[in-house]
This record gives sequence, structure tokens and C-alpha cells, in this order.
Amino acid sequence: MKRGVLAELLRHIDAKRPVVLVTDLGSGDARLVDPFGDGAGLDPDLFQEARAAAVQDRSMRVERATGPVFLRVFNPAVKVVIVGAVHVAQSLAPMVQLTGYDVIVVDPRRAFATSDRFRGITLSDEWPDDALARIGLGRRTAVVTMTHDPKIDDPALAAALRSDAFYIGALGSKKTQAARRDRLGELGFGDADLARIHGPVGLTIGAVSTGEIAVSILAELIASLRKSVEAARPAAAPRAS
Amino acid sequence: MVRLAREAQGAGTVPDADAAVTLDNPLCGDRVTVEVRVREGVVAAIAHRVRGCVLCEAAASLIGRTMPGARVELAAEGRAAVAAVLRSAAAAPSGSWAGLSVFAPVAGVPSRQRCVLLPFEALCEALANAASRSGRSPP
Repeated sequence: MKRGVLAELLRHIDAKRPVVLVTDLGSGDARLVDPFGDGAGLDPDLFQEARAAAVQDRSMRVERATGPVFLRVFNPAVKVVIVGAVHVAQSLAPMVQLTGYDVIVVDPRRAFATSDRFRGITLSDEWPDDALARIGLGRRTAVVTMTHDPKIDDPALAAALRSDAFYIGALGSKKTQAARRDRLGELGFGDADLARIHGPVGLTIGAVSTGEIAVSILAELIASLRKSVEAARPAAAPRAS
Repeated sequence: MVRLAREAQGAGTVPDADAAVTLDNPLCGDRVTVEVRVREGVVAAIAHRVRGCVLCEAAASLIGRTMPGARVELAAEGRAAVAAVLRSAAAAPSGSWAGLSVFAPVAGVPSRQRCVLLPFEALCEALANAASRSGRSPP
């Protein structure tokens, strides 16, 4: 790859922007394309393939009339924002890191969000709407709320619903979920929006302890990520990869 | 009181503020910023930003309604009066701070009193900072 292309690639990676490196396997020419941009300068079919590869998080070789092309996807890391520096978060945050994702715990209650309770974890004591606006939510981010305080959880969920976050979860019993649906409904969110919120959060595995609950949440989050990837896969004939 | 909170009188920022103070309650997350500009012992401009519960918002709103154009000493009078209303269920004073009567029900709920006091503390600290910046003694 030419040095100029490498420099541009590194800029995209630093800015946490998804980018696809399109390499003509015949000539060796390589260029970068923003898979979620307008695809200017690229053949429209090839641009669609690049976008599909980015959404699926899958690098692949595609056969073109002009010869084979390799699409190498560079996606930003999956990031999980946990709102609420509570016991479940103390288990869940390190588990998210071990899975290979970025994690940040947000809680404006400074007594909860301390570095002794969350060693090696990025913390923010901002209010969630400020924190989420600064962090930036997109299709590679997940938000899970667990403060049990509506004045803190609700703004976080509202911000998540206004974004493309791939997974939104809310800890709380069925009763609190119903009250939450009503409050968020009053903010203007419809049934389709509210259906995006997984609550009570976590796969039903009979989790009892905070560690087990954390596992059930992480599993549901991963399933959501991979399902959204699968759902985005175009229903085309299998191709060599 | 909910109406007072929703009115959010005085919400915003003060350009060229003499002082800005942010205080929070680490246990519940309430956070309030008060900005003031003082001229000749009188509050020329005041604004607040509140993230928190309705009690905190209502207290800030009352301050936003009462303090613009007032002499700075009124802040300390307000803080003393609200402390009395909350801690000993005293009646609100007549005059500028009569509106404190809206907090009378909080007298029976010690765990929520700090939420009402927080904006008053930020207000007094901001005015003290403004005074020491200008070289005058604080109210």
C-alpha cells in the first residue's frame, strides 16, 4: 500500500471512523473508501459491497468483471457504555474488557464512581446526556443503564434511542420497565423505539448473583451485535472469501 | 414545587461572570452551577445550571427568581431561612424569601434536605468568590 494511503488509513483509525481498504488484487492498487459516505469515485456495485462488508464486520474478496478485489474492513472497536457504577457494573465492566470491547462507566454520583471500585476502567462522573454526547453513540456502541434512579437512567436511554446504538439495555424489574415505558413515551418515543430497549436486561439463564447477571447481559449484548450483523448480510449467492 | 422546578427561572449562563461555582452531592448526583456578576453590592446578573432532582431544580428556580437585582446579603439570609424551614420546620420569612414555604414538606425527610440546600450553598460561595475577586469582604 502506498505511504499516503497508509497515513490516511491511520487518520481514520485515530478518528474512530469506519473505513474499507479496497485493493485490486490484479494491479495491487489500493484505495480507501468511507463505507457510509456517498461512495463518490467508486463503482456503485463495488461501493455496495464495501458497505455490506463494513456492516457485517467481515473483510472479503469479491470477484468483479475486471478481476478480484479485496475489501479489508477497519471498524472502530465496539464500545459499551454502562450507566450506573453499581455492583453489577463492577462485574460487567471487566468482562466487557476481556471480551475485547471498550468500556466506560458513567455515574454522576461521585461516591459510586470511584477508581477503587473500578480498577483499570474508564469512569465518567458527568451526567449521562453530557457523557453520551461527548462519547458519541453509533452503530458500534451499546448502552446499558443500571442506576435504578430514573432521573439518571432516563436521559441515558433517551440519548441511546436517538442514536443507532446496536444494543440498549435497562436493568430493572418488569414493574419498573412499565413505568419507564410510560415516562419515555411522554418524551415522544413510540412503540418501535421502546421495543429497542432490552428490559429486564440480559438473557434468561436464571442469573442470581451480580456476576451471573453480568454474564447474562454481556451474552445478550453480543447476540445483538452478531444478529444485527447477520440481519445486514445481503441475501446473495455465497461468494469465495 | 414541581411547577417552580419546571419554570427553571434563571437557568443559563452569565457572560463575563465574576464567579462561577459548581457543587454536587456525591451520593445522589445532584449538580448545580451558579454564575454571578456583582456590581456595587448588588447582583447584576445571575444564572444557574442544574442537573438533579426536582427539589434541587425548584430551589435553583426560586433563587433565579429572587436574586436578580438583589443586594448580595439576601443570599445568606435565604440560606439561613431555608435551613430553618428544613431543619426545624420553621415558617418561611415574610418578604423576599416567602417562597421557601414550598419546601416545608421536606422538613420531614432528612435524606432529601441536602438537595434543597445545594443551590443555596453554591449561590453563597459564588457571591463570596465574586467579593474576594473584587477585594471586598464577603457578605
